[in-house]
Amino acid sequence: MDRREYLRTATAVGFAGSVAGCAGLLDSNPNVTLDEPDREFDSEDLPYPAWGEQVPDVSLADPLTGETFHVRDADDPSVLTFFYSHCNSVCPVLISTVRDVHTHALNEGYADEVVFLPVTFDPERDDEERLRAYADEMNVDADADNWHFLRPDSEAEAEQVVEEQFGVMFERTEPEDMDMYMFNHASLTFLVNADGYVERAYRTESPDETEIISDLETVRE
Amino acid sequence: MNRRRLLLAAGGIGLTGASAWTLRNDFDDDGLPMQVEALDAPGSAAGEVRVPAADTVTVVDLFATWCAPCKRQMDELATVHQRYGEDVAMISVTNERIGGSLSRDDVREWWRRHDGAWTVGLDQDSDLMAALGASELPFLAVVEADGEVRWKDGNVTDAARLEREIDRALGGT
Repeated sequence: MDRREYLRTATAVGFAGSVAGCAGLLDSNPNVTLDEPDREFDSEDLPYPAWGEQVPDVSLADPLTGETFHVRDADDPSVLTFFYSHCNSVCPVLISTVRDVHTHALNEGYADEVVFLPVTFDPERDDEERLRAYADEMNVDADADNWHFLRPDSEAEAEQVVEEQFGVMFERTEPEDMDMYMFNHASLTFLVNADGYVERAYRTESPDETEIISDLETVRE
Repeated sequence: MNRRRLLLAAGGIGLTGASAWTLRNDFDDDGLPMQVEALDAPGSAAGEVRVPAADTVTVVDLFATWCAPCKRQMDELATVHQRYGEDVAMISVTNERIGGSLSRDDVREWWRRHDGAWTVGLDQDSDLMAALGASELPFLAVVEADGEVRWKDGNVTDAARLEREIDRALGGT
């Protein structure tokens, strides 16, 4: 199936996933703390790293610090999401949700037990300067030690890491009423435990921050 | 669609612009009325306020300080506020969590800069947002005194449209 067909198909089944899962004998996994989510597919059949699977073995640069971040070796639970800063519909909701969870961690004194990793798939425009301005606009405390914007070095690496490894599809678009390119993209936010295994993949444009905070609390214990 | 294709497809739900009403739609309006923290700001007094107001129709506006279209929504709300005065309650609420690089003063500053003149409040745990099933901003609702949501919609709503919805709620039709 080519990319275009994929995107079309994905739109058409937007409400898949609400059907009750087939709870069976295999709903426990020694590598994760949270129970298997209620869903209709097994993790191995999903195109992204899902419950109980290892997060991809990738390293990405944090343009604000110049450091390279190895996602699987975070040492603490991590929250990952995928965005581009020129997005004006879905991404601000994703980023503000993750930002609110981050602020909860700062407020409640567990900031040193979790890291936040928003990954841009638009390295062409999302450079250090742009990401600083974006953090400011979104009220993100990007100077906090546990917040790392991550940026692939090139468009090719963005495709390789974000699409192929994380299964977060994106496709550049040229809207007629805009003088810049945008993206169609999937919305995925991951909660990964300290050992690098996915505890939850939140497949929604508007993840429930209360749910993430609660899941994170369980994973931190 | 064969199985593999369906599975592939399911991983991609939530494409931009496709289904704005995803998971949050599970919530119903049962959460209303609820108490919301109001800020001391122009047109607004500090304290807990009931949403909706107990004695009249309430316009609820969900916004965020980072949300550019929410500024345009403020202009439309100002027009509506001038027309109805005290006959209709109005409250704007942000679900942003206070802390990190955002303070209550930052919210007040945003409010002053965009000429807010009615109650402004905080919904730090997104309870109001969940009760209304909102997944985009700005988001508006017209709610009767007993908590029944008469109308709600995402995106910027112009004053004339909002006035029609208010009139319908006031008229009880």
